Amino acid sequence: MSSQESMRPPGCEENAAPYVLGALTEEEHESFVRHLASCAVCREEVAALQLVVDALPAVAPPRSAPSPLKRQVMAKVRAEAAAAGAPAPRRSPLRSFSWRPAVGVAVAMAGVIAIAAIALSGGSSGPANKVIKAQVTAPRASALLRLSGGHAELDLANMPQTEPNRVYEVWVKRSGAPQPTDALFTVTSKGAATVGVPGSVSGVKEILVTSEPVGGSRVPTRTPVIVANLS
Amino acid sequence: MFNPLRLGGASSSAEPLRVLADEELMQLIYRSNADAFEVVYDRHADAAFSLAYRMCAQRALAEDVVQEAFLSLWHSRARYDRHRGSVRTWLLGIVHNRAIDALRRRSVRDRGVIAEEGIEERLEAPERTDLEVARREEAREVRSALDELPDEQSRVIELAYFGGMTQVQIASMLDTPVGTVKGRMRLGLAKMRMSLGDPAEVLP
Repeated sequence: MSSQESMRPPGCEENAAPYVLGALTEEEHESFVRHLASCAVCREEVAALQLVVDALPAVAPPRSAPSPLKRQVMAKVRAEAAAAGAPAPRRSPLRSFSWRPAVGVAVAMAGVIAIAAIALSGGSSGPANKVIKAQVTAPRASALLRLSGGHAELDLANMPQTEPNRVYEVWVKRSGAPQPTDALFTVTSKGAATVGVPGSVSGVKEILVTSEPVGGSRVPTRTPVIVANLS
Repeated sequence: MFNPLRLGGASSSAEPLRVLADEELMQLIYRSNADAFEVVYDRHADAAFSLAYRMCAQRALAEDVVQEAFLSLWHSRARYDRHRGSVRTWLLGIVHNRAIDALRRRSVRDRGVIAEEGIEERLEAPERTDLEVARREEAREVRSALDELPDEQSRVIELAYFGGMTQVQIASMLDTPVGTVKGRMRLGLAKMRMSLGDPAEVLP
């Protein structure tokens, strides 16, 4: 990599290794992702180092996952599969580029960067990459809406469990009434969940979450428990 | 690939799917097929828990991390793209992220030292499949590549990757400039890459 040193652009902080290891703070991480959009040297280095980091889990001493854990996970998954009536989640053409496997993305970086660069340069009709703190009715609960590449993902913590036979449902609101999505979900025992908002957020003013009967609703039957304002 | 000893609690409807590769299962999971998800869970839960426990050193926390990671995979199933890497790599990346989040939340909230709990390492059973043999060999090679590094390089890599520490925290702990920590990370990973050869052939 020494041959690349002379090609490093000014302002390059050589964060590729800390990036793939997950050793950047949230602010440093966001800054480095922006930097990657314009630094081919760092992109190449990230891709090379990520291959090593992907192998590191093999070093962890082998342990067996506790059996009750599987029951908990599968109970939630089966409930949500039944609630969804097993429809396919909608997928937009850009969607396949937006999954971010880890703090280090690496192999997928070129595609992600291409989209991020468009968003950051104002070339996209949707909002640029950013994180919005949503309003949440439940005390202690928090909800962050991460916007990236014209898509959004909700990251929830300390949310109350849904009542029996109910699930959370994500809604998107543009100019008229909130429109339903097929994002139906429950939260972990700690109240956590990460939920992708189906479709593009272009033109979306608010993203809402309500508690609905299993299977979801076509119109909200309760007041929202989460409101994220994008405008 | 299919280990009959790992079938405790498996649903019979998932059985016919066990011959499928992960990438084929993801196509079914995309259509909200919970049986296909169960097969993926059975294949990778031990690796996910091993990584989470190595990072968190607490059974309850590791369980939460693994549960969150699998549910995140389920919720993000529409975003899986086979061209971007294996399902296992994707999942373990999510586990790593979640564990880092958990460790950093804990460090702010509790600032306490968590003692290693008594979960026994799993006794290594005889390899039953070619894939298990290959995985175990890969683990030996990666461990060896890490062990061959100078201590100062392997330490910053382990503190960052398994300890969930930021480069600034590591620099402070070691009383070393951040730039030096970055350099040790980069040199260490680059040497490991040389030792491991071209790891492009990642196991599924």
